[in-house]
Order: sequence, then structure tokens, then C-alpha cells
Amino acid sequence: MSATVQPLAIASGALIRAASLSWLALRQALWRIPMLLVITLVTFLILRGVPIDPVNMLMPPNASAQEIAELSHQLGLDRPVLVQYLMWLRGALSGDFGISIQTGQPVLPMVLQALPMTLQILFFGLLSGLAMGLGSGMLAFRARGSVLEPAIMSINGVMMAIPDYLWAIALIVTLGVGLQWLPFIGPIDPGLQVPNITGFLLLDCLLQGDLVAFGSALAHLFLPSLTLGLCIATPIARVLHSSLIEVYQEDYLQAARLRGLDENTLLVRHALRNAALPTISLIGVQASVVIGGTLLIETIFGLPGIGALMIRALGSFDLQTIQLLALTYAITVQLVNMLSDFTLRTLNPRLRIAP
Amino acid sequence: MNLSSLAFSPVAEQFLAEPEWLLEADGLSVVGGPAEAPSAVLSDLSFRLAAGRTLGLVGESGAGKSMIGRVLARQLPAGFRVGGGQLRFAGEDLLSLPAERHRQSLGSRIAFIPQEPMGALNPVLTIGRQLIEHLQRLGTPAAACRERAIELLEQVCLPRPATLLGHYPFELSGGMCQRVMIAMAFAGRPQLVVSDEATTALDVSSQAHIVRLLRELQEQYATAVLFVTHDMGLATHACDDVLVLYAGQIMESGPAKSLFRRTLHPYTRALREAIPALEGPLLPLRALAGQMPGVESFAQIKGCRFAGRCEQATQVCHDGVAPLESVGPQHQVRCWNLAAASERQAQPEATAHEPGRAMSAQQSLVAKGLSKTWPGRRQGFRRAPGVAALKPLDLSIAPGEFIGIVGESGSGKSTLARLIMGLERQSTGVISLNGEMLGDSRDDWTRRIASIQMIFQDATAALNPRWRIGRLLTQSMLSQPRLHSERQARAAELAADVGLAASTLKRYPSQLSGGQRQRVNIGRSLCDTPQILVADEIVSGLDVSVQAQVMNLLLELRRQHKISLLLISHDLGVVRYLCSRVLVLHQGELVEQGETERVLAHPQHPYTRALIAAVPSLDPDAQWPPAAFPQMDVTP
Amino acid sequence: MTALSVSLGRRTLARPGLLFGAGFLLLLTLLALAAPWLAPHDPNEQDLLNVLLPPLWATGGSLDYPLGTDALGQCVLSRLLYGARVVVIIMAIAPLGAALIGCLLALLGGYFGGWLDWLVERFVDLWLSFPAVLLALILMVALSPGVQNVILAIVFVDWARFCRVLRAEVLLLRRRSYVAASRIGGAGALGIIWRDILPGLLPTLIVLMAMEFSIAVVAESVLSFAGMSAAPQVPTWGGMIADGMGSLYSSPYPLLLPVFCMILTVLAATFLGQGLREAVDVRLLERAGAA
Repeated sequence: MSATVQPLAIASGALIRAASLSWLALRQALWRIPMLLVITLVTFLILRGVPIDPVNMLMPPNASAQEIAELSHQLGLDRPVLVQYLMWLRGALSGDFGISIQTGQPVLPMVLQALPMTLQILFFGLLSGLAMGLGSGMLAFRARGSVLEPAIMSINGVMMAIPDYLWAIALIVTLGVGLQWLPFIGPIDPGLQVPNITGFLLLDCLLQGDLVAFGSALAHLFLPSLTLGLCIATPIARVLHSSLIEVYQEDYLQAARLRGLDENTLLVRHALRNAALPTISLIGVQASVVIGGTLLIETIFGLPGIGALMIRALGSFDLQTIQLLALTYAITVQLVNMLSDFTLRTLNPRLRIAP
Repeated sequence: MNLSSLAFSPVAEQFLAEPEWLLEADGLSVVGGPAEAPSAVLSDLSFRLAAGRTLGLVGESGAGKSMIGRVLARQLPAGFRVGGGQLRFAGEDLLSLPAERHRQSLGSRIAFIPQEPMGALNPVLTIGRQLIEHLQRLGTPAAACRERAIELLEQVCLPRPATLLGHYPFELSGGMCQRVMIAMAFAGRPQLVVSDEATTALDVSSQAHIVRLLRELQEQYATAVLFVTHDMGLATHACDDVLVLYAGQIMESGPAKSLFRRTLHPYTRALREAIPALEGPLLPLRALAGQMPGVESFAQIKGCRFAGRCEQATQVCHDGVAPLESVGPQHQVRCWNLAAASERQAQPEATAHEPGRAMSAQQSLVAKGLSKTWPGRRQGFRRAPGVAALKPLDLSIAPGEFIGIVGESGSGKSTLARLIMGLERQSTGVISLNGEMLGDSRDDWTRRIASIQMIFQDATAALNPRWRIGRLLTQSMLSQPRLHSERQARAAELAADVGLAASTLKRYPSQLSGGQRQRVNIGRSLCDTPQILVADEIVSGLDVSVQAQVMNLLLELRRQHKISLLLISHDLGVVRYLCSRVLVLHQGELVEQGETERVLAHPQHPYTRALIAAVPSLDPDAQWPPAAFPQMDVTP
Repeated sequence: MTALSVSLGRRTLARPGLLFGAGFLLLLTLLALAAPWLAPHDPNEQDLLNVLLPPLWATGGSLDYPLGTDALGQCVLSRLLYGARVVVIIMAIAPLGAALIGCLLALLGGYFGGWLDWLVERFVDLWLSFPAVLLALILMVALSPGVQNVILAIVFVDWARFCRVLRAEVLLLRRRSYVAASRIGGAGALGIIWRDILPGLLPTLIVLMAMEFSIAVVAESVLSFAGMSAAPQVPTWGGMIADGMGSLYSSPYPLLLPVFCMILTVLAATFLGQGLREAVDVRLLERAGAA
């Protein structure tokens, strides 16, 4: 367009921008709700295929056929699948997610109790992953032209290939069993007792003023977080490195250099912000992979998070627990996605205009 | 003040230390390729530029004209280096200046105006932040930065500078972005400004404003300007002195006006004769055969690099490089056969040229009330009102008639082309072909593509890179039950028709030059001998000499096959040369139409007048840009 | 297309990573095929008198069990060889299935657009926003254990990755003017897809397939690590790793050996993928005109 900016738009540009930004954010947040619903529906449908009759597992082995039929009716299992799903949904909306066949207890409190542990791992994993990834990506870029750059990037490539649970085992074998530097089983030393206040172990230790327990909990969290961090860091380093290289070929960087800006200012003020965009959207895309990673990591390190809970539930066909956990995972992924979307919008003015 | 800024005579050597020369190049060369067999992309370049003057570097793509700016910026592309010579800036040796000192002088003493203004501004920072960052680097106190930024934007005639500071580059048009870049360039009152094709990416009407702005600021600050351009007409008016480069060698140099009044070098003259004029008698263009040699073959050329394409070349031209010889006040030419050259100058050929007129009173294609509206964006449950890309217009084409559609980007001219071709569905209106209505049916589509064919804008993008030329040329026969031999025969025929060597049939598009690719593009559209060709900006990306080749080819095809042409172009000269009738589009609306000569001579609509005024005149004595010139690229 | 394949071959040979990757995977396939002849023992034969034997080179190793035994006295070498069969089968079939479904949906959505495209895009969004491991695990709970079900689960989970990338590519290719040129040259939708779109898609498809090798191997190992892969009597590397974790303190070998095999295989698959990616770099091809 030989496009001229409308005078009106210039005058009220800021106002319109702010309005469209919040409208956009709201619309994107609302769009996630039907997605979550469809995820629960898909899970529900898949779980109907489980070759084991849930009623049989609830009833004592000597139950009569009539008793079984009664329970089936009571649970709605004789109704069409879609009706069953709607029944589950109605219960879910009122906070009733059913009863676990492992414990006979309601599922929701069980999951809520396990969730903080997973969130702790996720938080520290993301933090360490970001630090390591950004660090090595920048290092490789600053070392461009020297042998260090291809060296860092090939090591990074090899590390990226190794799946998370193998990292966990490798770290346990070397740092845990081999060097005995760090503990690797359980959330905290067996002898220590910390009352459950917030559910977040580290926070609870601090609230109690128990620094010994805090140290122990932190040490126990180190290897799992490092494992997760390594899996996040490698793709970040790669994308940051390549997008920095790309940004440095852009006209605006050349133009800024021709205005006499020094290399440090170029990197920090002009290149990093642009190169961060693909990196952050990568984190959004990778969110589901990262969160899926906690599943095995918790199991391997013996941490009582929702991943360990999930593996147990899967092993014992605890359908209600699986169903709620699937929803929990989906929500967590959506939250991380929202966070990365928000950051992207803050950094990239183009996204603030409705797509 | 020295009257001329150019002096090559040995006598001038003694003035080397004279401070009035701001920029002096002496035997400067830039070489690339392997160290044992370097090839000079810029060889033995000497010039002098004084404060307040503009030196134009004119040449086609590949001439090496951008290299000088890159040497100044120390940003030579990988693999290239300065091979020898001197470059002095304000008495200092620029080539041996310490890196830090050199960086310090960038932006403050030497400023650059880029080719692509939209890309040259950081997309995630506001205009204000980028301006203020630059001002702070220049040492403006932080408190005064905002004031000064507003002042600068006012100086380049941008409306509402205070609000503009809060905008991002993508919210501005190309012309506005270029004004911001100019504001930044002049912020530090530099001694030298390098403008590398600063107007090429802009619409014609912006071009005139940018050039005038540059001139005004230059006068105000007595800045020297290095003006790199491929456009001879523009150079005539925008520059005081001109260097004409060909394949890295200076062919001719001198004061712009006198040089263009009396061009001596065969290349310069060919270049001038290849530019279609907007006024004066319509003469046939003399297209220069062949193309400029590539950098990789420079090393093998012993003599004049133009010799391969020169009509007057003799053995001596191939054996050695001629020296630059003075032929008038500051006017120098590098040619062995100057005598022969001046001789030809005396007797210009004057056969009148005829653009494509209708060859029959019948109309082969008639469109009535044709329009296109893009559906608006969905906003919740509502839809924003649609965007009218093209407002209803009528159009008819007769056999052999060449019609030009003129307008700037966003005027709807490409939309019209796609509607006629049927690549887009019209919102309203009907098209009839040879008296029968064109509908949506499969039969109508078959009829349409048999009679109408399109030549696409970008030949590189329009040719499947994985196919050989032979297959590309006869692409439309792929979906017909034809024998392989038949296709091969047709491919050879088409290649001959569009002037391609038979050997190219086995090649891939990437192995051809831009001009050759455009020929394939044209040849392909001729495969089923259509009645009407729709051509979208098909010469705009080509060098002038190649552009003339392609235009003459189109006229030749018209003589042979009586084809009609619907030519979409922003270049009025091209339209005048080819088309007997012209339609002017502005923001999706047909504002003027009629006989090309009449419209150009007596434009009625102000937009047409502005378009015509924006084209640099080929007459060195004409006043350009005209004094009173409506500002169209910036909304007040 | 011959020019493409010839140059592809030439560029393949010039890359050591690619050669290592392809060579190792070929060797693995041969070993897996020859497992019944190479394995010294039945993989499920338990020798409870000889549990946790170290491998040949460590003190106490015996020639009878070249790579030692696990906690149940099963021959580690035999189990590794038989486990390789699962790896090879998955690697051969799962990427093919995922590519087929992903490519088909990408073409349908990307080329024809409209509501179909909307639907495909929403499903891809949905699939990619749910942890793949989890989806596969849930699916394996619903299906019964077995190699064919593992393949099914991987295809069911990973088609979306193919679809996302390929659809974007189709959208890009469809807007090229050479596709419009084919249209006005009289080609129909199928002709354009076959002659213009698919050849343009091929480099990306090859790269995605190659990357899917390593993804499929990892996915299978994760499933078997969680005990939800092949039938219990079929030895898998993931299962061996999980078993090895239990006897980590007594003997690290039953854990380290399958981990080592796993890492080598994943690296080989990754090198193959990266090498192919560089060899068929789309931009390079465009520039060289497939020459």
C-alpha cells in the first residue's frame, strides 16, 4: 500500500492499541477453554477403550450380577458414551472428579496435593534451562568465527538428541551413585519432617524456619531440575544462536552499525530483542514436551508429583485419576503457552495489532 | 568554492592536499576471489568530491556502484577486500584509520541512507527510541533528545512528529520510513552522506520528494552526497557530477548536465537510448545485446569490459584497457574508438516508433463493472467492512492493442490483472471473451486459459526451479494429450520466438540470467498462442538495457501474432513506448484513461499530473523535481 | 527428480555424521535380523544361579554370558539383540505412518483451504498442546501391549508434527507464482499437487522423516521404560533400563549397557536426520536450482 497512516489512527493510536491488546489477550485466553474441553473428551473416549471393566475393579470378586448392574447404572456406565462424558463434565464443573480406585478417595485432593512438587520441578527446570540455554547460545554466537562456535553447537546437537529420562539416569549414575555429591531419591532426607502448609516443600521449609530441611529439599530438587533444564537448554541454545545469526544479517542491524553504534550496543539493544522472539515462541511450542518430561523424571527420582501419580494410575487402570491428571497437564501446558504468548506480545509490537 | 568537483588531469594531482576536497579516491580497487587470481569488482577508481556537491555513481546491477559505499563503511561482502589505491576523507586516510576512530565517524561525519527504508528500522523499537538512541550517541544531552527528535522529523516534513515518535516502523509507509532515515542521517550534520539507491524501493511520487528533501538538507548543511543509482534520468537531476560504471570500470565521467547532453561512450549512449522517454518524438529503443559479464569472468577480460557488447569494438578494445581521456571540461571517457563514437553521435537515427494500436475494430475482451472487495476481518461476530481493492471499472481490448495500466503500489492494478486472468474472482462485474460471457464453469476456464495468458511479475518465482526450460516453456501441454516429440518441437520453436538459444532448453531457471528468465516467462505464456497477454510489471526488475530487449520482443510478437497486451506498470516511459491506450488507477479507482500520448501530454486528473511530474525528465535542462509539486506520499 | 537424487547422493557421501548415522542403523538392522543366530541364549531364559554377572572384560565375567546377566540371570547380550528388533521395526514403520497421515492432511488442509483447513489446523493445535508422552501412555493403556499397538500409538501422536510443518510449506508453495502459472497452463488440482507441490515438499518430508526416526525410538523406549510397550515376554531396551535401575547398586552393567545402546541409536538417528537436513536444505536447493 502506498499506505498512509490515517490521521485518526495516529491521534488515538495508543488508546486503540491498548484496547485491542486486552481484547486480543482475552480472546486468546477464551479460545483455550474449548481446547481443554476437547482434550478431556479425547482422553475420555480413549479411556473407554481400556480392556478392563471399571465396575469389576470396584466390586468385590464375589459380587452378584445384579449388584454389578446396579453399580453400572449408578455410575451411568450403561448410558451412551457421550452422555457419560457429559455426566463427568457436570461433576467436574462442581468439583467432583470421581473416586480413585487405588485409594477409594476423591481424586481432586490427591492431585492437588501432588501438584506443587511438579510445579517446583517445572519452575527450577525452566529457570536453569533458560539460564543454560541463553548462556551457551550467546557464548557460541560471541565466539563466531572461532573453533569454539562449532564445538559448542555440535556438543549441543549431541546433547539435544539424548532423551530426558536417559539424562536422569546418566546424572544419577555419575553425580549420584558415582561421585555421591547429590541425593537422588525422594523429595527430602528421610529423617526430616516438614509440616504441609502451602504444599510447596521449599516454601514450607522456609515458613518453618527450618534451614536444614530447606537445604536438603533444595539438594534433592537439584538433579531433577538439572535434568529438565538440560532438555530445555539445548533447543534454546540452538534457536538463539541461529536467530542471532539471522538477525545480524538484517538491514536494520547493518543500518544501526552504519550509524556508528558499537558491537555491544548492537547486540544488547538491537539484536537480542529480535532474536528473543523465535526463542520465546520455541518455549511455548516446547511447553508440552517439557511438561511431559516431568512424568518420567518424577518417577525416576521418586518425587511425589503428579507425574509419579500418573504412572501409578496408568499401571492400575485408575481411570478417574488419569482423566483428571490429563486435564491438569493440559491446563499447565496452556498456562505456559499463555505466558510465552504474553511475553511475545510485549516484545513484538506487530502482534499487538489484531491478526 | 571550486566550480567543479571533478578533476582527473595530472595537473590536479598537486592539489591532493587541498582541504576543499572532502572525499578523494585515487586508483581505488576492490578485489574478490582467490588470492592467486583476484578479480577486481572495482578497478582503478579515482574521483574527488567537494563539500556541498553531489557525485552520482550510475550503473546497472553488477556494475560495482555499491562497493564504494561499502568501502567507506568498511562493510565489504565476505571474500572482497580493498586491492589498492587510496581513499581520503577530509584529509585523513580512511583506509588506514584505526577501527575505533572509523566507527566514531560513522553516523556523525559519514552517514548512510539505505535502499530499503522499511527494513532498515528495527521492527520492535519505536521510531522515537531509535532516533533518540542515535541522538544520544551523537552527544545530545538526554533532556534535549525528545525536542531535537521532533525538530528533526519536522525538518523532513513528517506530519505530527510528536505522535510519530511513539509509532513502530511497520505502521509507516516506505516513503515515511525513508524520511525518518534521512532525518537520522542528517541529525549529526555529517560532512558526507551516502545514498545507496535510496529511492528505488519507493513509489515514483515519493522518489521526487525524497530527492528534493535530500537536495534541500544538503544545501542547508553544505553536505557532500554520494548518490548511487541505476537511473540515468534521476542522476541527471539529482547529481552535480556523474561517474558511469560498467563492470567495475569507469566508462565516462563528468558534470551531470553536460555529460548527458553529450554522451560519448558507447555504453553510456546505449544506456540512454534504452530509456523510453516521456516527452519528445517516440523513437525506437536501441536495445543493447547480451548482458554485463559476471564478477567471476572479470579476471579473464583483458581489455575493455564493455567490448563484448559494443558495436564499435575493434581488436584493440579486447587487448587492453583504454585510459580515461579528457574530452571537455572535466568530461572524461574511457574508449579506444572515441572518433568513431563521436561520428555516430552526429547522425541519430530517426525512424518514428509506433506503440501497439488496435488492429481491428472488434473487441476480443470486454469487462464491465469489474470490481474486487476483500472481505473485512472478523471481529467477534461482526465483520469489519471490506476493503475495496478495485472499484468498478470497464475495460475492453482489441486484437493487437497494447493497453497500459498505471498506478502506484496499492492502486489495484495487480488485482485487475488477476481478475482478468481469472486467478481471483471478481466481486461484481462480468467479463466476456470474444462475445461470450466467461463464467465459473470448467469449459469457460478452458476457453479462458486458451485465449488469455499471464506473464508473471517475478520470473524467478514464476518458474518452477526444479524443471528444465524446455519443460517450462511447454508447461501447458502437460495437461493435454500431446506427444513428447510435439512438445520438444514446440519448445524449440518458442525458444527461437523469444530469442533464447536452443542450448538453454536443457538448463534450469537458476542457470539463466534475469533477462533470459523473463524471456522464458514470456515464451511459456505464448505456448498455446493466446489472443491476450496480461503482463504484471514484467520489466520493472530488469536492467535498462535488458528492459529494452524485452519491450522490443513484445512488439515483435505483436507484429507476428497480433497478440494484445494488458501491461501493468508503474513506469510511464515503458507504457508510452508500448501502449497506445492507458488507464490510470489510484487507490482502486480508475481516475483517467485515453490515448497514451494525449494523457501524457494533457493529463486531466491531478493524480496523473503528479505521476508524470514525478518521473525525472531525460532532458538535462528541464527543471526537476518541478517547483510546485503536490505532496502525495504523506498524509498532512 | 533424477538431478535431485544424484546430487543428494553426492552430498550424502560428503558428510561423516550422515555416514555414521546411516551405517550404524544399517548395522543395527542386520544385528536385529540375525538375532536368533547371534544370541547365545534365549532372551527370557533365567539362570538364577548366575544373576548380575559382570560382562566379559570385568573381573568375574564369563564367556558364557559375554555381556553379563541381569537380576533374573537373563543374558544381557541376547536381550539387547532381541530388543533391537523392536527398535528396528518401530523405526521402519512408525515414521512412515506418521508421514503418510500428516502429509495427506497437510495437503488437504493447505491446498484446498476453507473449513477443512480450519479443522485440520485446530486438531494439530490440540495434539501439539498435549504432552506427547502422556497421550501415547494413555493410548497404550487403552490398547493392549504389543509392538503393533506401540506403532499405532506413535503414529497417532506424531502425525501432528508432520502436518504442522508440511501444511505451512504447502501454504507457502501454493502462493508461489509458478503454481498460478501451472493453473493457467491448464493443470488441475491433482496435477498441481503432483507436479508442483509434492516435489517442493519432498526435501522437508525427507528431513521430517529422518528426524522422526530418533523421535520414534525415544518414544518406544519411554513407553517400554514405563512398562507399557511390547508384550511382557518381548525384551525391550527401555524395559531393560527400567529393570536395571532396580539393581543399580549391586551391578551397574544391566543398566549401563542398554543405556549405551539407546544413546548410540538415538545419536545415529539424529545424525542421519541432521545430515539429511543439511544435504537437502531447501534454500540451497532453490539457489542451485536442484542442479
